[in-house]
Amino acid sequence: MDATPGAEGQREGQRTRSKRSQTVSLVLVAGAGAAALGLGGIDPSQREEDVLVYADAAACTAEGIRPEDECRGEYAVARQAYPTAAPRYASLIDCEGHHGPGHCLSGSEVGGGPSVEARAGYLPRMAGYLIGRRASQGITPQPVFDHAPRAGHAAAAAGHGGYCTGGGARILTGSGGRASAGRMRTAALHGTTFGGFGQTGRAFSASSHGSTRSSWGG
Amino acid sequence: MRRVATGARPDWRDTARARGFVFHTLDGAPYWDESHAYAFGLDEIEAEIEGPSGELHALCLAFVGRAVADERILARLRVPETAWDAIRASWRRGDPSLYGRLDLAYGGTGPAKLLEYNADTPTALYETGVFQWLWLEEALRDRRLPAGADQYNAVHERLIARFRAVAGPGLLAFTADARAPEDRGTVAYLEDCAVQAGCRTAFADLPDLGLQPGGGLCTRAGAPIETLFKLYPWEWAFADPFGAAVGGAPTRFLEPPWKMLLSNKGLLPCLWALEPGHPNLLPAYFEDDPEVAALGRSYARKPLFSREGANVSLVRDGTPLVDGAGPYGAEGFVRQALAELPAFDGRRALVGSWIVGDEPAGLCLRESDGLVTGDDALFVPHFIEPT
Repeated sequence: MDATPGAEGQREGQRTRSKRSQTVSLVLVAGAGAAALGLGGIDPSQREEDVLVYADAAACTAEGIRPEDECRGEYAVARQAYPTAAPRYASLIDCEGHHGPGHCLSGSEVGGGPSVEARAGYLPRMAGYLIGRRASQGITPQPVFDHAPRAGHAAAAAGHGGYCTGGGARILTGSGGRASAGRMRTAALHGTTFGGFGQTGRAFSASSHGSTRSSWGG
Repeated sequence: MRRVATGARPDWRDTARARGFVFHTLDGAPYWDESHAYAFGLDEIEAEIEGPSGELHALCLAFVGRAVADERILARLRVPETAWDAIRASWRRGDPSLYGRLDLAYGGTGPAKLLEYNADTPTALYETGVFQWLWLEEALRDRRLPAGADQYNAVHERLIARFRAVAGPGLLAFTADARAPEDRGTVAYLEDCAVQAGCRTAFADLPDLGLQPGGGLCTRAGAPIETLFKLYPWEWAFADPFGAAVGGAPTRFLEPPWKMLLSNKGLLPCLWALEPGHPNLLPAYFEDDPEVAALGRSYARKPLFSREGANVSLVRDGTPLVDGAGPYGAEGFVRQALAELPAFDGRRALVGSWIVGDEPAGLCLRESDGLVTGDDALFVPHFIEPT
């Protein structure tokens, strides 16, 4: 969604005094993302997510699972996030050790912004982007990076180590790591505990409304 | 300030669907209502709502500065001792806040009076920043409103600017109860603003938040969370098993723990004690304070912790007007001088005044049949009349 004021709002001399936003645009909530608010179908206990990985919007369109405009919009979101979402390494050697020879760029080449941090270090090239198979998964489109092949890894035989996200999640794909459909592994978190937030609210809701669906906001 | 029949756009439900506003009707009852709108003069907005809102927020910040240095205040607010260090540390580090909503009794006939500050988990944000804005633009286009009409609503722009100003380079995660459409929609909207501000974001349902051995929070995928936006009240978070980890966690929070002191109704007597006679404050006292007698036989009685009008009772001349039900009140009550909401065509209007960062940013109106604005109140749009 991208709405700008109509002719009424743009009259000379009026915008300067306006007390409202000049434009209101949404990138996730409207269109494709709207279904993300449709809820349901999310099993909180699930440990893997069905995801789709594409090199670019054209590859997404070619497969035909998503309509062309959603492919373009989601790719744009991931592309915009790339400079901040990519992991940063102090040296090219560190970066290529994780992502493979020739798969890294310097911060100044990427040019994520004017700040010193944005131009510092080395980061992997954007190999493609990841989206949920279904909008209801609520997965924000994000860039993915090639992972250096590891001996013994299934995809390594094909010379590809699969993909990883900026958060460090590995994406396991078939066909030597190049197929669009994949599983994002969300387990293997040794020592991490889950479920420690929310109990007090649920107990409160159950006692007051007899349901757990009412708002916790106000 | 007046209530004007504008007539609803015939296709507004389709528009809402296309814009992701799925909670315009909740449990079969209407929530968004654009058959009418509230009209304000520009001077009413600027001199009587925007200006005082900035002053009230600044006064609130001054109060937090005092409270973190005085354990008697923290105890008076019934803040659990296990939360004190986390609250104090968040304030002393200068952890930034994102937004809040001051609820005001205002009808255009006298100074706005602060009823409470939804400083921790405010909702009605998307409706304000996006759908109300869109309503104005389309009403101008369709000539339902006079040319030159405006709206006090820079909420959307300010949210994006605030995320840009305060977010770090790491993961900004958003959490809420994913089963509540209104809450899920509110955080989806905030995540949208954050993405536009260039942040790296993710959504995690509350049970999907992980606590790592090192004390940091993470997502199911194991991604460390640098900043967590939580639409979940601090008093519950501190009572949860992970609550004890908040103080020592490298994760920062929106809203930060110190905002808990402002969403507490004990704020009201504390502000009155700081600035007695302030034109935008109502006299207020803790219920066990002998000075509460100064309120006489007309007052509002509010539990320290509550939301959406639950457990709020109103008494006029010794006679109960509203006897509030609900699950809150275990921590005690405050009493505040009675300021009945103004009536327009028999409907009661409540002004919600948004603060983004530390600046006033816009308003929303909730309309109800009764004197206490509950979660069944309608959202009604507003506009500023052309001068």
